[in-house]
Amino acid sequence: MTMTRASYQSAQQAGRDGFWQLLRSEWTKFRTVRGWTIALLAVAALTALAPIWLAGTASSNDPVTCVRGICQAEGSTIATGPAGTAVIDSFYFVHQPVASTSSITVAVSALRGNGNASQVQGFGPGRHPQLPATEPWAKAGIMIKASTRPGSAYAAVMVTGSHGVRMQYDYSHDLAGPATPAAAQWLRLTRSGDTITGQESADGSHWTTIGTAHLAGLPASAQAGMFVASPVYVQTFGDGDNSSQITTRATAAFRHLSLHGGSAGQTWTGSVIGPQAPPAGNPPPGQQIGPKTAQLQPHQGFTSRAGSYQLNGSGDIAPFVPIVDPMHVVFMATLFGLIAVIGLGTVFVTAEYRRSLIRTTLTASPRRGRILAAKSIVVGSVTFIAALAGAAIAFPIVVTKLVSSGWKPPVWPELSITSSTGLQIVLGIAATAAAAAILGLAAGTIFRRSSAAIMAVLGVLVVPLILAIVMPLSVGTWLLRLTPAAAFSLEASVPHYSQVSYACAPYHACFPLDPWPGYAVMAAWTVAALAGAIYLLRRRDA
Amino acid sequence: MIAAVHAEWTKLRTVSSSAWLLLTLLALTVGFAVIATDVVKCPASCSIDTTKISLTGILLSQAAAAGLAVIFVTGEYSSGMMRTTLTAVPRRIVVLAAKAIVLSAVIAAAGVVSVLGSVLAGRIFLPGNGYTSAHGFASLSLLHGPTLRAAGGSVLYLVLIGLIALGAGLALRSAAASTCVVLALLYAVTYLGDLSLSPVWQHRIERWTPMDAGLAVQNTTAMAKQVIQPWPGLGVCAAWAAAALAIGWLMLRLRDA
Repeated sequence: MTMTRASYQSAQQAGRDGFWQLLRSEWTKFRTVRGWTIALLAVAALTALAPIWLAGTASSNDPVTCVRGICQAEGSTIATGPAGTAVIDSFYFVHQPVASTSSITVAVSALRGNGNASQVQGFGPGRHPQLPATEPWAKAGIMIKASTRPGSAYAAVMVTGSHGVRMQYDYSHDLAGPATPAAAQWLRLTRSGDTITGQESADGSHWTTIGTAHLAGLPASAQAGMFVASPVYVQTFGDGDNSSQITTRATAAFRHLSLHGGSAGQTWTGSVIGPQAPPAGNPPPGQQIGPKTAQLQPHQGFTSRAGSYQLNGSGDIAPFVPIVDPMHVVFMATLFGLIAVIGLGTVFVTAEYRRSLIRTTLTASPRRGRILAAKSIVVGSVTFIAALAGAAIAFPIVVTKLVSSGWKPPVWPELSITSSTGLQIVLGIAATAAAAAILGLAAGTIFRRSSAAIMAVLGVLVVPLILAIVMPLSVGTWLLRLTPAAAFSLEASVPHYSQVSYACAPYHACFPLDPWPGYAVMAAWTVAALAGAIYLLRRRDA
Repeated sequence: MIAAVHAEWTKLRTVSSSAWLLLTLLALTVGFAVIATDVVKCPASCSIDTTKISLTGILLSQAAAAGLAVIFVTGEYSSGMMRTTLTAVPRRIVVLAAKAIVLSAVIAAAGVVSVLGSVLAGRIFLPGNGYTSAHGFASLSLLHGPTLRAAGGSVLYLVLIGLIALGAGLALRSAAASTCVVLALLYAVTYLGDLSLSPVWQHRIERWTPMDAGLAVQNTTAMAKQVIQPWPGLGVCAAWAAAALAIGWLMLRLRDA
């Protein structure tokens, strides 16, 4: 007789080894540690309260003095454009009225810089940066403009210092024509009601259309003519806050001028557009005129001889880009919540090492890469939600506080949380928190010690912010491009334009990368750290 | 007391992370001094303080000093060693003093070596980048009074940051929490002070926070423009350290280990 013994089988049903189970067990671990729940609430509270506090300290800002639509801010003279935002609209214009069906044609040659006029604003050791012969965005061409009032609607085609032929309209729109202008570059604007078409030609007979602009509400009698502008040259150099802004002038020659649709008996009138030439009537008392821009007036003008014209101009026709972005500065205070997030992400794994729970975890689910994936999802999601809640609460309060202390339109946008920039800021803060938590988790797995892991993550995420201010600008810019700190560009609220040069100083929370590309840098760091953590978790014993 | 100090020294010495952190402190200070003095160029930025730029590494290595202090005390809590320590030396103030003495001595020793390395790096690299007598720069030397003060002050600064972290560790007991609090106090507050939208708060932060005020000890040029003078600045930092140690001592006294 043979005894057969059935091999032992547990009465327990075999558990499913699905990813969902793993996710649930990690969520249970997170939820049942009271300190972590408190830390998560602290993240939400810090993310909300720190920016609100910082917005409350913002000193009352009144750099903008607006009189009849003409304002002055930060050394530049600005007006309010058709979209209700701040624009710079100062140049030399030789113009006459045109009817609603009209066209103007001219050949522009020899746009060149005419020296610097004066230093508007400068910091640092008193060294003047080298000026280019012609400001890259110096402009010479033809324009149809609603009126000579600064900030009025316009469309223009032009030759620029070093950005080729462009068609620009209503300040923020910029279309590129040929990259290299011809020696005598022909330009034409054709008006048909509200629609203006810009064309260019190398020889005056073969024309190419650059673009078409619709200027809503363009009056029947608009102003058409030739213009020259040369913007303030901005250069940042050295370290910290060293930047110079220098007003420039330019000269250009115009030939073969022809106008259709003008009125009989009209002649060309030269006007300095901008605050130097306020609208008809007495200049209102208290109007702020930049002392340096006023000096430019004698240098602008035009001469005509045998059908050809020479114009001297200064200034710019472009959106106004303020140096300080108050929303960005205020939302950098989410750093406090972010540091707590990093701590939380780190202890989510180092606590397992300290209590040796990691051995149980690895026994229950031996596929190690999946454990880190599950942990990342859990800690990434909860920190995303906590930071999102904090930022969403802070956002409207911050906007109200900033507007009430003078950081308001037209210079600074009054953002709604549902606008694309509002969503970018709030979702950006949440997304940065999620990535930081996973970065902390990966570092915790690599170092197994929470303090070392936190120091490493803050070393690449927060320390570069300070180093960028302390180090020379070129080094600082690279630090903010290459480290995860690039993701803080998500908090930017002031739009930048390729046709406006501005001083991007780390000192003013200006980041060199655009918002989402900046976040991509942080995401790449996070993925790399997680890959390193998975590799080490597989290789090492727990 | 001597026995307590000896015990603390043994504990610090026999934990492998201590040696790693001290090496990190040294490497960050000197390594960053080499980078910083190599990238600055005189025709572009002649206005810099050459002593201060040579000692920029302290900005980073203070994190290592803080980490050393945090692990020194929170490690005892997480392993339960603290109970043994307090059984052997029941007087809390003696435990605290012994820890502070050992920590200060170790950080000071590493600090002296790394600051000497930094000044040496400045001496080697700066003249090659245009910081020569032609532009009005003397070779970096510890015989120069303000440079000696900046170098010695930087060592003291590292010690004070270590003591602030020691107090935070005793009060919070968690390595993660105390590291976060200390580094947020050093880096995040300083950064927001630099950006501040309010001149009043900028001035307050530069004058009264441990990093901004403490690092004033490194300034050797444009003294009249500084928000706080070197020794008063280090004094503010010392006040923070004293307050942190007092809170740590109070927590040690009031709570069970």
